[in-house]
Amino acid sequence: MDKKLKETILNPILKGNPITVLILGICSSLAVTVQLKGALVMALSVIAVTGLSSLVCSLLRNSIPNRVRIIVQLVVVAMMVILVDQILKAGEGTYAIDKQLSVYIGLIITNCIVMGRIEAFALGNKPIPSLLDGLANGVGYGLILVIVAFFRELLGSGTLFGLQVLPAGYVPNNLVILPPFALILLGCIIWAHRAWDKDLQEK
Amino acid sequence: MNTNSNAYTVIYTTLVVVVVAAVLAFTAMKLKPSQSANAKAETLRQMMSAAGIKTTDELYATKNADVLQLYAENIEQAYTIGLDGKENGTLSTDLKNIELVDNLKPQNKAIKDSAEVTLPVYIFKSGVAVMPIYGAGLWGPIWGYIAFQPDCRTIAGAYFDHESETPGLGAKIKDEAWFREKFIGKTVEWGDAPAFLLAKNAEATGAENAVDAISGATMTSKGLNEALNVWFKAYENHFGIGALLSALSEGETDTTDLNEEEE
Repeated sequence: MDKKLKETILNPILKGNPITVLILGICSSLAVTVQLKGALVMALSVIAVTGLSSLVCSLLRNSIPNRVRIIVQLVVVAMMVILVDQILKAGEGTYAIDKQLSVYIGLIITNCIVMGRIEAFALGNKPIPSLLDGLANGVGYGLILVIVAFFRELLGSGTLFGLQVLPAGYVPNNLVILPPFALILLGCIIWAHRAWDKDLQEK
Repeated sequence: MNTNSNAYTVIYTTLVVVVVAAVLAFTAMKLKPSQSANAKAETLRQMMSAAGIKTTDELYATKNADVLQLYAENIEQAYTIGLDGKENGTLSTDLKNIELVDNLKPQNKAIKDSAEVTLPVYIFKSGVAVMPIYGAGLWGPIWGYIAFQPDCRTIAGAYFDHESETPGLGAKIKDEAWFREKFIGKTVEWGDAPAFLLAKNAEATGAENAVDAISGATMTSKGLNEALNVWFKAYENHFGIGALLSALSEGETDTTDLNEEEE
């Protein structure tokens, strides 16, 4: 059991990473990775949504009528997303970041990772493992988001968390700021991940 | 229990929706005051940045409560005007009850329909008058604040914001300080069309009421140009007369000087 739990937590971060292996959640990872701060808040929001939605759906798993289970899951996920959005808007420090992320917080609802984990895991497992599975998948997603944002902010603005890192003479690369570069960067990360973990390579 | 019967499904989904709606309504109600406080402080930061009370970076590093305090200390009076330029309401500037017109979208629509409007004017103790602008960018709304010197013609400062313009291109209207600094010292030609020009090579003509558009952000620049001119037109009867009066009073001082010389 302990080994299984460890597997639940570690698998989504490395071998079964939602972005680099399952290729889910690509859209938002292109959109919100211009700056580290925004990416970090987005990552934390997704972690909270995946974790809590999985927990709630797992608690309801024996009572949900099978025919409408997707709709019930959607309602739960939508509730969590709206809660996160409202809380971000209410926080004095997070208000500006929420404004910067604009629609992408709301679009967590459409993030395949959330629904995917509920369908694949939470509906067949007890609440605590489901919560951990949800959180771990959020972390796996967030990790890639932060890595992409690190390079995009460093090369695109010469800053990290808004602080100037590269010397003042550095000319920011405009390509890096645009979404296509995030896709290129993501491709490189997937490449590196597969080169490192031979099990992921298709024969 | 048969969880697949029709009755169970209907009752279950109804219950889920009612519970979720209750949770959301409760949180929305609880968080509303702090959300409005954030929105208000945000508007004040942008206004005071345009009015030159403090720099944008300083204002964004200032806490909400201190921003309100700063506004209350620096504001002289705030009121709303109609399209005829006449005052049609006052806005409280008391620290405990600061009133703003920060929902600009309906005002923008009313201007275009020539309907009843309450356009805000904020006069700071430094003599600077601030007005908002609002319009459509490429992806979503853009808005901003323009501050005038006491002569009601010369721009003392500007601040622009947007919802979702392209980072690195249209987003420059907010991100790049040099862009808003270009507006400082320019003048608005009240009564002329266009009152202000934001276009390619606009500065090359040597006009005092023109600023170069941002290259690579054609649609955002066009949108901003439109927003500026629509709102300047709406304020024309107010500031235009103000500018005329201030020019006249300058003329008067000149004539008195002349009279003194004659004597």
